[in-house]
Amino acid sequence: MIEVRGLTKRYGEVVAVDELTFAVRPGEVTGFLGPNGAGKSTTLRMILGLDAATSGTATVSGRPYSAQPAPLKAVGALLDPGAVLPSRTAFHHLMALAAGNGIPRARVGEVLAEVGLEKVGRRRAGAYSLGMRQRLGIAAALLGDPPVLVFDEPLNGLDPEGIVWIRSLMRRMAAEGRAVLMSSHLMSETELTADHLIVIGRGKLIADMTMKDFIAAHSEREVLVRTPQAEVLRELLASAVGVRVEDRDTLVVTGLEAAEIGALASMSGVELHELTPRQVSLEKVFMDLTSEAVEYRTEQMERTEPEKVTGR
Amino acid sequence: MRQTTVRPASEPTRFRPGRSPARRLRAVRRREREAGGAASFAHCLHAEWIKIRTMRSTLYVLLGTLAFCAGLAALNGSSAGDEFAGLSPADQAVFDPLATSLRGYLIAQITLGLLGGLVITSEYGARTIVSTLTSVPHRGRVLTSKAVVLVAVAFPTGLVVSLTGFLVGQAALSGAGAPHLALSDGEALRGIFGGGLYLALAGLFGLALGTVIRSTTATVTTLFGVMLIVQPFAPALPGGLGDWVTTYWPPIAGGQIITSYQDPDLLTPWAGLGVMAGCVAVMMGAAHAVFRKRDA
Repeated sequence: MIEVRGLTKRYGEVVAVDELTFAVRPGEVTGFLGPNGAGKSTTLRMILGLDAATSGTATVSGRPYSAQPAPLKAVGALLDPGAVLPSRTAFHHLMALAAGNGIPRARVGEVLAEVGLEKVGRRRAGAYSLGMRQRLGIAAALLGDPPVLVFDEPLNGLDPEGIVWIRSLMRRMAAEGRAVLMSSHLMSETELTADHLIVIGRGKLIADMTMKDFIAAHSEREVLVRTPQAEVLRELLASAVGVRVEDRDTLVVTGLEAAEIGALASMSGVELHELTPRQVSLEKVFMDLTSEAVEYRTEQMERTEPEKVTGR
Repeated sequence: MRQTTVRPASEPTRFRPGRSPARRLRAVRRREREAGGAASFAHCLHAEWIKIRTMRSTLYVLLGTLAFCAGLAALNGSSAGDEFAGLSPADQAVFDPLATSLRGYLIAQITLGLLGGLVITSEYGARTIVSTLTSVPHRGRVLTSKAVVLVAVAFPTGLVVSLTGFLVGQAALSGAGAPHLALSDGEALRGIFGGGLYLALAGLFGLALGTVIRSTTATVTTLFGVMLIVQPFAPALPGGLGDWVTTYWPPIAGGQIITSYQDPDLLTPWAGLGVMAGCVAVMMGAAHAVFRKRDA
């Protein structure tokens, strides 16, 4: 379990991470979502003790990272898949990490097998493809068999096979009762993997809720209606539901199913040319949410705290 | 479940009176270490040993240094030996057979300094410093372990390099009929042993520089400047400053350890090596402070 309280990182005047508070629970994949530059990596680096927090706390299983008796047995992290000395073999890279935490040598072979690198483990890591490096990074994260896993943009630059592999690995790790934190700047990636969602923008918490609640709250369905009698239909619907006039003969209706609109139209003798149910994409919802954060930020100086959508 | 706060870096957690959280935490850690399962300094040493052993440059640096120093001792010994007969009596009186054979240290101090630098700059270059510090978050432990394994490699190498240079150089001098030393001479042993120490210190000097600078290229450039460029230009510096640099500039002072002729204006061999050691100690202290404080 990761607990972050009031975590803040300031670089001079710039606030990269602003009073973040959230928890990453065991048995779930938590998606940590935000546009590039939102402060995701900085937050992860503070959790892992790489960067010092300006204020606030971050603990893993109740202790700050630097106080972990054997860090790799507490947290496995994948931050930068390219971070391997090119002339060193994957085996020796992992050996050195394992040795630093007193993890037995045999475990290195196990994790190499687990990520499918057992045949190339004795080759120079410099010759590895991006996908292989990502697997090596994951092998390093699994070395200590930790109850908490942190993956920074694990799906970046991977081919579909690699994406499916990492996604199912994260699901499996969560099913085993581990807390998995996965950062991403894409809603589409996160949507398919995460149980819980934390959204940040400009270093501030925007949303902290289950994926299910987030979808329920934000995935409004709408129905596109084309009719030569747009005015008439609009008046029929206006009292009960949301209607947006898109065009002279096109309406976008929210709050009613397509069938209901069709029934209403036919009862009232309104001629319909098109009736299309549409789903607002979560990617769009996410972009709207984070762009709001940007706007609020500029207003914040003279006004109020930015709005938070909190699910619990 | 315990809650412990991460203090901002500017607020020291040490030396607090009473039973501070930091002290209680240390007590907890000690119990855990005793119970087994906790990572120790020995584990970190082992990790750093694997890293220096599997860094390809290590072998290249060691073999290159040895070959260069032996080769230079042979060339220097035979040419100096040939010229000895033609020297004036005054020059013959200050002829230094020990330094003639160990002149290769001028380059060896750069190559071993480079090895010391690489121990950490290679981590910044490849960004593996991130995995190193997530594996061992105690930065003091990481830097100390790096220093220990570096000395464990650089000191024996320095000894072998000095011994080889000495034997090859003295053989060349004796072949040319010039004054030469035997291993049984006290100053010979001091030169070889002290030469090994000096080269180990040069390695640590590189490690300290590399920790602060983080770039391999900039570290090598600085090593050249500090260890080779200052020496020939010191006499050109104005009066007192020139004399001071010639006497106390750490690599020049430390180099006295391989001389068998004592220049009355310069420090004695062990005093000179002491200046070098003091300089390295200060630099390592500074490197440690920077390394602990800086975001990785």
